[in-house]
Amino acid sequence: MVWLQLLVNGLVTGAALGVVAISFALIYATTKIFHVAHAGVYTLAGYLAWSLASRGMPDLVSLLVAILCCTVVGALIQHQLYARLERRRATHLVVLIASLGALAVIQNVIAATYSSNILQFPVPWGSRVETFGSVRLTWTQILTVVLSVAAYAGTMWFAHRTILGKQIRAVASNPFLAEITRLRPQRIYVIVVAIGSAIVALPGVLVPLDLGLQPYGGVTPLLTATIAMIAGGVGSITGAFVLAVGIAVLQNLSLLVIPGEWSIGVTFFIFVIFMLFRPTGLFAKAR
Amino acid sequence: MDFLYSYIILAEVYVLLGLSTNLLVGIAGIFSVSQAAVFGVGAYLVAHFLMTETLGFIPALVVAAAACIALNIVVTLPSLRVSGDYFVVTSFGIQLLATAVFTNWTNATGGANGLPGIPPPDLFGLPLESTGQLVILCSVAMAIGGLAFWLLMRAPFGRLLRAIREDELAVAAAGKNVLRAKVSAAALAGAFAGSAGGFYATFLSFVDPSSFDLDASILLLTMVVVGGARTLAGSILGPFLLLALPQVLTLVEIPTSIAAAMRQLIYGVLLILFMLFRPQGLAGEKL
Repeated sequence: MVWLQLLVNGLVTGAALGVVAISFALIYATTKIFHVAHAGVYTLAGYLAWSLASRGMPDLVSLLVAILCCTVVGALIQHQLYARLERRRATHLVVLIASLGALAVIQNVIAATYSSNILQFPVPWGSRVETFGSVRLTWTQILTVVLSVAAYAGTMWFAHRTILGKQIRAVASNPFLAEITRLRPQRIYVIVVAIGSAIVALPGVLVPLDLGLQPYGGVTPLLTATIAMIAGGVGSITGAFVLAVGIAVLQNLSLLVIPGEWSIGVTFFIFVIFMLFRPTGLFAKAR
Repeated sequence: MDFLYSYIILAEVYVLLGLSTNLLVGIAGIFSVSQAAVFGVGAYLVAHFLMTETLGFIPALVVAAAACIALNIVVTLPSLRVSGDYFVVTSFGIQLLATAVFTNWTNATGGANGLPGIPPPDLFGLPLESTGQLVILCSVAMAIGGLAFWLLMRAPFGRLLRAIREDELAVAAAGKNVLRAKVSAAALAGAFAGSAGGFYATFLSFVDPSSFDLDASILLLTMVVVGGARTLAGSILGPFLLLALPQVLTLVEIPTSIAAAMRQLIYGVLLILFMLFRPQGLAGEKL
């Protein structure tokens, strides 16, 4: 029953990846910025939580502080970097390069502070195992699924049921029109990037509980998440989440035939297939 | 003296790469972080041909350049057809995939240990072994590359690319094929990067995956951004300045364990600062 275990592992990884994907999708659909530095925020969350947890803070407090710090970092990136560039009428390319610069800064501040070796979380409860039939799940994995699905549901509720969520969607669909109705797009952008950064801090802490921390470890998850977002259809939160789970499941099942170090190839292959046959994504609304 | 020579040779190789990156990012306006991957493909191919003694240096260089042209066409064609942001995903994907191939395809690339003992370059059977001869060879290569770049920018093709960067829609409306122009620019960038790889491999007589990873791509982008986009002077200035930076850093007392992270951190800061305050670089034009 190896395939069943791999399927379940895929669902777990996919749930966490799905949260990365919805956070990126929220930012990208609203600001139209390809926020590469998001990978840095994701990594930063894990390291902050690790620092606190290894100094004896309760696990929940570490998680919450990490989320809070990432919110601030995200807001700063939008407010101090992207908004400034926007005022100077910078091209899309310039913003992308600046974002890549921000990613390099975050990653290497982390690498210089914590060294680039892999760090393991000091959480003894995390590796306790529950057995369901022939499937084994660690507590970390169960927690990951529960919190990720909650984050997805929370984001959906927020985007569709709250005033702020509706304002964000208004700015996302048409910033000029939103401005006429006295919404301030630049302010909304700061809020969106802050919220996206808060959301991405959750998988940023949960995933390393199992896999450990690495300063440059954020790029691959972000790449997979952006592929899920594109394959799901830009602008669709559900699409991003579902496709992230799908990609992670395929990736895990592919371990039956392809060794793990090539899994980036599997992900990329899925992307190329989508690009050739369905570039607007599965869940895209009709235009 | 040997130290100065090797600095010059390395800088000249990076000038070729800078021209390649400038062609793609500066002139065609395509954001790419996979330049180092293409560079690596060229380097490994030339290393392979010279070590198995199947081809001489010049034919090997031609084959490597051709392979990199083909690679760049295959990579850019599907994604640019859809949208510029899709190419961001593609280029990250290609870069990570290339690193996976360089590291894991041990039979061909020597894996993480790299390939040692690559023979020195030869000119039609005449081996060039002294560093002085290599300086001349690389200077000639750089001169040819620079001349080609300069002529190209004056040619109608160069004007077409500039026009696309200014206003893609207007160019398309004027009946020009935008996609073909962009893909040709990418193909040319591949030729430059591939042959630079050949010079790099034969000069160092050793290649390993760490020279061709995402960090290397960020370095290349920093070189173009600092030197200045879209000009020959910028592409030459950038590499010479940034390759001197590690030497300057050795004067400051930094533990060797974090030296690499500090270097990358500086590149990131430079990217952000130049994008914010001087997007045209030291000797370039508006990006």
